[in-house]
Amino acid sequence: MNAPVRFRLMTVAIAAAGSLALTACSGGGSVPGSPAESASLTVGLIAEPTNLDIRHTSGAALEQALIGNVYEGLVARAIDGDQVVPALAESWEVSDDALTYTFHLADGVSFHDGSPMTSADALASLTTVKSDPSVNNHAVLADAADISAPDESTITITLDAPNQNFLFALTGPAGLVLPAEDDTDRRTAANGTGPFTLDSWSRGDALSLVRNEDYWGEPAGVAEVSFVYFGDQAALVSGGRDGSVDAMPAIDPELSSQLSGEFTIVEATTTDKFILAFNSAAAPLDDVRVREALRRAIDHDAILAAVGAAEPLFGPIPPLDPGYEDLAGIVPHDPEGARKLLAEAGVEDLSLELTISNHYGPRLPTLLVSAFADIGVALEVNTVEFATWLSDVHDPSTRRDWQLSIVNHVEPRDFSTWTDPDYYYAIHDEAVLTAVQERYAEAMAEIDQDASAELLAEAAQLVAEWHPADWLYVRQDVIAVAPGVTGFPTAATSTRLPLAGVTVER
Amino acid sequence: MPRYVLTRLTLLALGLLAASAIIFCTLRILPGDVAQTIVGTEGTPEQVAALRAELGLDRPVLLQYLAWIGGVLTGDLGESLLTGAPVAAELAEKARVTVPLGLLSLVVAIVIAVPFGVIAALRRNRVSGAALNALAQLLAAVPVLWAGMMLIVVFAIVLGWLPAQGFPRAGWGDPGAALRALILPALTIGVVEGALLLRFVRSATLTAIDADFVRTAAAKGHTRTGALLRHGLPAVGLSIITMLGVQIAGIVVGAVVIEQVFNLPGIGRMLVADVGARDLTKVQGELLALTGFVLIVGFLIDLVHRAIDPRQRDTAEVQS
Repeated sequence: MNAPVRFRLMTVAIAAAGSLALTACSGGGSVPGSPAESASLTVGLIAEPTNLDIRHTSGAALEQALIGNVYEGLVARAIDGDQVVPALAESWEVSDDALTYTFHLADGVSFHDGSPMTSADALASLTTVKSDPSVNNHAVLADAADISAPDESTITITLDAPNQNFLFALTGPAGLVLPAEDDTDRRTAANGTGPFTLDSWSRGDALSLVRNEDYWGEPAGVAEVSFVYFGDQAALVSGGRDGSVDAMPAIDPELSSQLSGEFTIVEATTTDKFILAFNSAAAPLDDVRVREALRRAIDHDAILAAVGAAEPLFGPIPPLDPGYEDLAGIVPHDPEGARKLLAEAGVEDLSLELTISNHYGPRLPTLLVSAFADIGVALEVNTVEFATWLSDVHDPSTRRDWQLSIVNHVEPRDFSTWTDPDYYYAIHDEAVLTAVQERYAEAMAEIDQDASAELLAEAAQLVAEWHPADWLYVRQDVIAVAPGVTGFPTAATSTRLPLAGVTVER
Repeated sequence: MPRYVLTRLTLLALGLLAASAIIFCTLRILPGDVAQTIVGTEGTPEQVAALRAELGLDRPVLLQYLAWIGGVLTGDLGESLLTGAPVAAELAEKARVTVPLGLLSLVVAIVIAVPFGVIAALRRNRVSGAALNALAQLLAAVPVLWAGMMLIVVFAIVLGWLPAQGFPRAGWGDPGAALRALILPALTIGVVEGALLLRFVRSATLTAIDADFVRTAAAKGHTRTGALLRHGLPAVGLSIITMLGVQIAGIVVGAVVIEQVFNLPGIGRMLVADVGARDLTKVQGELLALTGFVLIVGFLIDLVHRAIDPRQRDTAEVQS
C-alpha cells in the first residue's frame, strides 16, 4: 500500500503550497491574480442527472456531479486517471489470498448534517448494496461472503472469490458511505461527507454546490460550484463566449476553435467508447460474415478525422483500462474484402436500419451511410430520443426489433457487459460466449495484476473477432478552461469531476 | 351577459377536459418510460420492473388518468415521477422566468406592430410604406430559433452588450441582471411576433381608412390622419385585441423554443427536459397549464370584446 500513502503525502504538499498562496494574499482574497477563497466556479455541461438518488439512478452525469464532490466512498479514482486512491478509507490491506479487504477509515469525518461518520455508517451502506437488488451496483457486493465492522474505524469485506476489479468497483456508487440513520429524500437532497454540500438543484437548469466549511480534509478551493446544463453544444459555446461559464469539460471539437482565444483548450483521455452495436440475434446480422463486412467497410481514419478529438479502438477495452491491446489488425479498412464477404454470405441488396439517439448529431450516421453504400448496403438512419432508444434497443424484450445502434458507453472497466447473455449487444454464440465468460472470470480471479490484464486482453480479442459490434472510436475530452482557473480535472471527466482542488483567481 | 359568461365558462371547462384527455393519451403513445430512464444502461430489467410498480406505471391507463384528473380537479397537479417534487410548485418557480419573458415579448411586439402598422397603412402608396410592409413580411417568416442565434452573435458575442445565456442565479433577487438576461430573448420573440401583428394592424388600418365613418369625419374637416386616429383606430382596436389573443399562443410557443436557445430556466426548458426523461406526470401538468393559459386568454378576450363592442352585445340580446 505504498502508492496510496505517497498520494496522501502529495495532497498534503499541494494543499500546503495552496495555503501558502492563500496567506500571501491575506486581505480577503480579492487581490487580482491570486486564488480567491470566495470565488465561484461555473461549469458548463450538456448531460444532466435525471434525479439525484445515487442509490437508484444510474448515469454518468449523476456520478460526475456528486461523487467526490458531495458523496465520498471508501476509495476513489485518481484525478489524473483511473487508478484507485484513498478516500474515506485512508489506507487498506488486502490479504494474501486476495479475499479479505480491511479498510481503515479516516478520523474526524462528519456528514453534512453534522453527525459523525463511523464504521457503522459504512457497514450499513455496504450491507444495503449487498442485500437490496434494486440498488445500483448491487452485483459488486452481492456475492461478498461477509461485511463487518470490527471497531469504530475499521471495515472488512470478505469475498468468496478473488476479484481483480473489486477495489475499482468500490470507487462507484457501491462503495459510497451514506448515513445509517437518515431521512433525507435523496432524489432532491443529499447528506454526504464530501468537500461540497448540495445547495440547490433545478432540473433542466443547474445544480449548485457550496463549500463544506466543516470538511474533514483540505477545504475546497472555491466557495461555490454551479453545474449549468445547456440544451446543446451551440448554446454551451455561446455561454463560454459571453463569459458566463468558467470551464467546459466536453466541448464539441468542431466548436472549440470558437473558444480558443479566451480559453485554454486541453485534450484528455476518457473511456468513452462509441459502439456501433449489431443485433446478432436476428438475420442478416446473425451471420458473422455480414458483421465483419460492415466493420471492414468503415474507414476509421476518416471517422477520427471527422470527429476531431478521438483515439482509434477496435476491441472492447479502451487504452485507459487494464487489458488494452491494439486490435486494429482484426478489421483493416477493406471495402473490396467486405463486398466479397457479403457475396460469400449470399446477401444482396442489403438494407439496414441504424437506431441512434438524437443527441449525437448527424455526423456519424452520415459517415456510415456513405461507407456502407460503398459496399452496396443501404443504411437507413432512425434518429430517436434517448428514452426511446432505451426501450427500443436496450430493453432485452425488444431484442429482435433493432438492427444497428450507436451509443457512447462511458463507464470504465465495463467489460462484463460482453459476458452478459441478456445485454442488448450480447454474443449469441454459445461457444464464444462461454469462452469469453471463462476468460473474464479467470482474469477477475487472478491475483496478479499483469497476469489478469493478459487474460482480459485474450477475452477482448475473442469478443473483437466475433464482431458483435464495431468500436468506432474512444472519445477524447476537449476541455475549455477560462484564465485564472487552476486545478481543473483533465482525465475521465465524463464520469468523475472532483472540483475540490480547483481555485479561481478573481 | 351573465348567461353568455356561463355558456363560455362551460365551453372553457369542456375544452380543458378534452385537452387533458388528449395530452394524457398522446403522452402514452411515446415509447420508453421514466423507470427505464432512471435505471439507465447499467440497470437490470428487474430493476426497471420494480421501479415501474413503485411509481404506479403498471396500473391500467384509465385508472392513471382518473387519478391524475381527480387530483387536478382538487388543485393538485401531482408530483414529479423523477424527483417527487410537487409539479405545481415547480411550475410556479419556472413561471417566474417564462411569464416576464412573455410579457416583455408582448410589449416588444405591440411597440413594433401598432405604430409601424399604422404608418405602413398611411403610406401605402409610397415606397417607405411598401418597404415597411415587405420588411414585416420578411421578419414574420424568420424562424424564432434563427433570429435568436443572430441576435446572440451580434449583441452578445460581437458587441458584448448583453448576456447570451442563462438567468442570474439570484433570479429576481437581482432585478437588473434578470431583466438584462430577458432582453435578447424577448426581442427575438417580440420582433417575429411583432412583424406578424404589424401586417395585421396595417390591413385593419387600411380597412378603417376606407370605412365610411372615417371618410365622413374627414369630410367634416378632420385631416385624413386625424380622422383615422380619432374615429378609425378605436374601431380597429377591437380586432387588434382579438389578434393579440391569438398572438399570445404564438408567444407561448416562441418561449418554449427560445428558452432552449438562451438557456433560460423557464417552463419551456423544463418541459423539454421532462419529455426527454419521460416524467409524464410533470409533462401532463405543464402542458395542461400552458393549454389552460391559452384557453383562458381566449375566454377573457371574448369577454373584453363583448364588453366594449356594443354591436355584439345588441345582437346577443336580440338573440336571447
